[in-house]
Amino acid sequence: MFDHIEQFYQPTTLREALLLLRKVGKHGRIVAGATDIVTQADRSTRFLIDITRLGLNYVRGNNRECLIGATTTMATLEHSWVLRTFAGGILAKAAATCGSIQNRNMATVGGNLANGSPAADTAAVLLALDAQVVVASSRRKRKIALAEFYAGPHRTVLNGELLEEVVIPALPGGGRMGWSFQKLGRTETDISLVNVAAGLQADARGRIKWARLALGAVGPTPLRARKAETLLLGNTPHEDLLTAAGQAVMKEVNPISDSRASAEYRREMSGVLARRALRECAAQAGCKM
Amino acid sequence: MNSMQLDLQLNGEFKRWTIAPGDLLLDVLRREGYFGVKRGCETGECGACTVLVNGKPINSCLMFAAQTDGCEVLTIEGVEQGGKLDPLQEAFLEYGAVQCGYCTPGMILSAKALLAEHPDPTEAEVREALAGNFCRCTGYLKPVEAVLAAARVYRTQAAKPQKGRTSQKSKRKSQKSKPAEGL
Repeated sequence: MFDHIEQFYQPTTLREALLLLRKVGKHGRIVAGATDIVTQADRSTRFLIDITRLGLNYVRGNNRECLIGATTTMATLEHSWVLRTFAGGILAKAAATCGSIQNRNMATVGGNLANGSPAADTAAVLLALDAQVVVASSRRKRKIALAEFYAGPHRTVLNGELLEEVVIPALPGGGRMGWSFQKLGRTETDISLVNVAAGLQADARGRIKWARLALGAVGPTPLRARKAETLLLGNTPHEDLLTAAGQAVMKEVNPISDSRASAEYRREMSGVLARRALRECAAQAGCKM
Repeated sequence: MNSMQLDLQLNGEFKRWTIAPGDLLLDVLRREGYFGVKRGCETGECGACTVLVNGKPINSCLMFAAQTDGCEVLTIEGVEQGGKLDPLQEAFLEYGAVQCGYCTPGMILSAKALLAEHPDPTEAEVREALAGNFCRCTGYLKPVEAVLAAARVYRTQAAKPQKGRTSQKSKRKSQKSKPAEGL
């Protein structure tokens, strides 16, 4: 099936990988977990560059930020002690739903983002965490907010570049936080029909002072529901507020109909899952509902 | 067409194979006669092609063979030891967990990886470990029972050298064999 592949490169340093990437140009593709490349079977690809030997398989947490190497597998995220506690374990939870164990042992966080899938489970979570991605070419290295990374369905701003690292900045201090990841799929580990990642922080009086609400599979790219976030700020969570936020989310999403679900159903479920997520966050953040 | 050399440890033996750069692990293994690695959906859904790479279950239909250079690969052919079936294989036979047999190699390898990390899994853990291995015959009940039974055998074997100390874990058996709904 892949008889059109002329070379399979296995660089061992980032520098070498970036030089190869420049050399092979548009006929080259980066491989890590290979789960997308193989299923897409793009016949224009002549060169593959395997980046799983560059030492980019790590999760490093410190007080300021959390750094995740691009080729860290879903299984590693899921079992990482750093991520099981960081932000309520929200990223580990999302990673645990990315396909079967076999898939999770192969699929990487970098691939989940760089393939540009609007349904990527780690993308919604990383948007809610204000993550940035470090992308590199042989000429330059830049850091992009994940919110600026997507250019459309299955398209990103990567331009002959390699996604090297995901950076999660320090969480805001000064108040209890709550986190939630909600996913609707045919099975627990199937592709999301809708996914929602939410984070809330409440002040001492139980009012929301910080809110993040991100959704996947309900628009051309993973997206932040910024209007719903703004609506929450300064308010004490109660059912009416969450209902209003859910309604705002339904207006902000822009889903399509496909073989898995209709646009109407996805829109409706966006509101339901957002409410559910916010309720869980509010409880963790110590808000009385 | 360029060819490249692949060095790996397959079922405990060193192998040096010549492969094409775009060869998938599934195709290479079957070409070399390891027909226990089944060709199923070829999109990483069904798990019939599961093998262990460095102890971890992966879909060999999605992995480029070149990526296993320097790795340890285990297929069902390497699970028996010296002509003696592994307790997992024995349990699959005993519990009637093999019907058409197409999913069996993948199931046993997924289960082997699970038991290596969790010698005393809950039924839910077994079901999660097998969730990437589709079976259209058994309804999953018998494979799940077989894995739980094999886990007890593994634990008894592991406990044997320590004489006079019965393993607490091996006593907790039948309570976990009750089936749960769905997978």
